[in-house]
Amino acid sequence: MENIPILEVENLYKRFGTCEVLSGISFNVRKGEVVAVIGPSGSGKSTMLRCINLLEKIEGGSIRVAGDVMVTTDKSGKVIYAPEKELRKIRLRLGMVFQSFNLFPHFSVMRNITEAQVHVAKKSPQEAAEIARELLEKVGLSDKADAYPYQLSGGQAQRVAIARALAMNPDILFFDEPTSALDPELTAEVLKAMQDLAAEHMTMVIVTHEMNFARDVSDRVIFMDKGVIVEEGKPSDIFTNPQNERTRAFLKGFMDQF
Amino acid sequence: MFENMNFSGIWQNFSSVPGDLLRQLKLLGIGTLTSLEIFVLTLVFSLPLGLLVAFGRMSRNKIVSTVIKAYILVMRGTPLMLQLIFIYFAPSYMLPESLKINLDRFVAAIIAFSLNYAAYLAEIYRAGIESIALGQYEAAAVLGFTKSQTFFRIILPQVIKRILPPVGNEVITLVKDTALVTTLGISELFRAARNESARISSTTPLFIAGVFYLIMNYVVTKVFDMLEKKLSYYR
Repeated sequence: MENIPILEVENLYKRFGTCEVLSGISFNVRKGEVVAVIGPSGSGKSTMLRCINLLEKIEGGSIRVAGDVMVTTDKSGKVIYAPEKELRKIRLRLGMVFQSFNLFPHFSVMRNITEAQVHVAKKSPQEAAEIARELLEKVGLSDKADAYPYQLSGGQAQRVAIARALAMNPDILFFDEPTSALDPELTAEVLKAMQDLAAEHMTMVIVTHEMNFARDVSDRVIFMDKGVIVEEGKPSDIFTNPQNERTRAFLKGFMDQF
Repeated sequence: MFENMNFSGIWQNFSSVPGDLLRQLKLLGIGTLTSLEIFVLTLVFSLPLGLLVAFGRMSRNKIVSTVIKAYILVMRGTPLMLQLIFIYFAPSYMLPESLKINLDRFVAAIIAFSLNYAAYLAEIYRAGIESIALGQYEAAAVLGFTKSQTFFRIILPQVIKRILPPVGNEVITLVKDTALVTTLGISELFRAARNESARISSTTPLFIAGVFYLIMNYVVTKVFDMLEKKLSYYR
């Protein structure tokens, strides 16, 4: 059971106009695994995450979540998405944290976290508020429940965004460069929150430029370049002994620090 | 230096004949009620209609968006007074004998105003909707909100805050535009003032009408100030 992949991505293709951004991406994620996706800008990391979260339509390949088909491609190359109702169900198993937080500015922190619980997951407002309070405590923001997003620092906003995603109790949580919009000192508090989640065996796929974090926290590192997965493996292998020339070149600057 | 200007009408009436002034106030007050009726009904219809028009304008369906664009062009590109007259008279001239209806002039006025104001409001809504960051839609989507939940819970509240000032402009203009229905012979504030003015050969009724319009727009301005303040709890 533990070994059934919670996410299976096969031969994913994505184009923007004539520009091919993903050229056959395949990987699996097992339950409880923390996967870091690294690579140069424009390598397709974010696009891959957006495709899995149904924010972009794919041009080929298949995606399965806990065995359920979200999208597949038939022999003639036609991409077939699951029916709308099924997609909504699958989507609820996925959570996403954005680079730019995307909190709802007109809602308090509390309501940012309860709104989807009440109106999508149909929980009672009391139950939703209770869950929200627990999560706020977990990310260290109990005192901010009544604040509005504009009153938060970037690091606080991102931790609220994490709590908001967790409130829907996803099977797998995706992070799209969660600290790229933050100052170094704010980055630390967000990484700490993510590290805590990893310690609880939350399944996570993290697109990041934080190499230290990828090395120390992830179970597996995927290196992408030009729309393909160039290399993947344990962080200790990838960071100390990269096999591929492109991985070596990318990590050179990072490894020189040591 | 003011010898050549004739203010005598105003002052004569203000000072000498309080009974007459009371009569004028009453007449203009009744007219104001009609003006307010047109004002309120136009808002009731044009505010939601404008949202529908905005959706049509933004539609990915080329036919829909083209038709709506033409509609907005006509509504904004021709005089409202002409539209009033056209909508009032067109049914009786253009329809075949058997289908002929005589549109009530008040109904015609409401239709013309609502159609016209919906066009202006639609463009304001569109500006507001298009100003909301894509990330808001994406955050809502990954949380599982449906399209309509996303629009009504996440997007529209933010749109309303942003479009309050330009909508305030339109509402203020509407107060003054109600004077145009006098063309259809509806006895509202402006018509009452003009008739009375002609009858007693005095500009006083017109002056009072001006004050009435100003008071109405003072209230409108205050209401919009209040709304803005109410929505200033977030940025």
